[in-house]
Amino acid sequence: MKYLWVISLILFSSDRIYAQSDSEIKIPMDTTKPYALIAGGSKGIGYGIAVALAKRNYNLILIARHLDTLLAAKHKLESAYPIHVEILAIDLSFDNSADEIAKWCKGKNIHLKVLCNVAGLGGANDYLSFPLDSLRYMVRLNIESCMALSLTLLPLLEKNAPSYILNVASMAGFAPIPVKNMYSATKSAVVFFSYSLRYQLKDKHISVSCLCPGPVFTKPEIVKDTKEKLGWFGMKMALDPGTVGEAAVKKTFKKKLIIVPGTLASISASVIRFLPRRWVVSLYGSAGKKSKNKIASK
Amino acid sequence: MSWALIAGGSKGLGYSIAEALCKRHYNLVLVARERNGLLAAEKKLEERYPIEVRIISCDLSLPDSVAVIHDYCVNEGLVLNILCNAAGMGGAIDFPELPLNDLRKMVSVNLDSAIALSFSLLTLLKTHAPSYILNIGSMAGFAPFPIKNVYSASKAAILYFSYSLDQQLRDSNISVSCLCPGPLFTKPEIERETIKKLKWLGKQMNLDVQMVGEWAVRDMLKKKKLIIPGKLVKIMSFILRVLPARFMAHLIYRYGYKAG
Repeated sequence: MKYLWVISLILFSSDRIYAQSDSEIKIPMDTTKPYALIAGGSKGIGYGIAVALAKRNYNLILIARHLDTLLAAKHKLESAYPIHVEILAIDLSFDNSADEIAKWCKGKNIHLKVLCNVAGLGGANDYLSFPLDSLRYMVRLNIESCMALSLTLLPLLEKNAPSYILNVASMAGFAPIPVKNMYSATKSAVVFFSYSLRYQLKDKHISVSCLCPGPVFTKPEIVKDTKEKLGWFGMKMALDPGTVGEAAVKKTFKKKLIIVPGTLASISASVIRFLPRRWVVSLYGSAGKKSKNKIASK
Repeated sequence: MSWALIAGGSKGLGYSIAEALCKRHYNLVLVARERNGLLAAEKKLEERYPIEVRIISCDLSLPDSVAVIHDYCVNEGLVLNILCNAAGMGGAIDFPELPLNDLRKMVSVNLDSAIALSFSLLTLLKTHAPSYILNIGSMAGFAPFPIKNVYSASKAAILYFSYSLDQQLRDSNISVSCLCPGPLFTKPEIERETIKKLKWLGKQMNLDVQMVGEWAVRDMLKKKKLIIPGKLVKIMSFILRVLPARFMAHLIYRYGYKAG
């Protein structure tokens, strides 16, 4: 077992040296580079992670629902970095998506080293105001797709060990937020899943990390929502997707388990995790009510 | 007379909850997959208690089941006061060995069915308020159990969901409780597995299922948010929740790995 570890370490370090020298020469479209698969990588945090991985000379496979945003992302990344970008337009909430992706990767004999489960759905007021189908879609996308992709791509990651899995949860996964009921419940499952998976895959040299960011300004609605609900504190805590992606990738390669980018966000995260859940819930609940009253009085 | 709907009420913990509700003179709607188990439960309960029992046999892992249950309750004009989401799936085999279809089924029975049923029966519960929702979590929802990866993750989500829902429904006079029991020997496999993995501790933590059902209903009607039956389980849950998650996951992994 120890020898295996040493060998894999040598392989890993030689790989890194190779990657460094490669960036100096800048050979375009080199398919012998390791690949990173990013589910939900065309926009937002996923795109931020894609850029950070491209900087580190990884070829990319981007998966998202819409082909046009995927094509735009591919164009931008390939023109800025000497890498190859594959794109797959697949709805991850479908039953057979995970199997199809795994088959595609096996068929192309892809040297997969990094899996990022970024695809997720959230909203400002979810449980009571969303239709049932959207709630189901949230469960499927936020939890099931993450578990299913990790399961189907596990043999490939194992073969190319040491490899990395990065799941994207949220700070909402540390304590229940009543106004974001479903979002925080599904993200807590992702946090738990990542914790367990890390220990299950330790012997296989696959490192599992979980990104739990505070508010990230990926869409204009989120900026407005954060301002309304969390006030100046939220605005101070918020980060842009590029910074989050860079921090996430850096710490994933350092084999960190829980990644909270930003000083203020990581301080608040530790406070939230330390306090009893019941307190945090009523705190969140009263904050949500206040903002509702504010909107009503306007 | 008021009605209580119990998803997964033909056997195990769900049945004991059904019995505890019968003692308090609630009429019951039992939902489960197997018709024979339902019929047996119906017969037993109607013989012993002066109440009415209706049964719906459907698979809660299928997305259409929720609509069937909702339509039945509306068409029959039931005065629904209590919803109990006791359907769940566990097992010794979990994440890396679990086939993809079983993984999906586990998530949809443990999490999706509870979320969808609470959602679609909410209007009915609201009109007959004060009403109660009882979700079944688990001690595995307090800290990540690497040996029961998906189970523990889905139960954590149920716990979070219950906390949030209780807060959201406070104004509509619906109380939401979450029952988090330790190991219950409802099936011989569970007994074997628990004793193998947790040794004497597992044996000590086991409680009579009937008692757990009785306590759960009693505390639910008292509007308790979190119901943890048994002294030893209470102590263990406290430890699980207070210590850092990473430390617990590591410990549980080591402990389970040795036993397995």
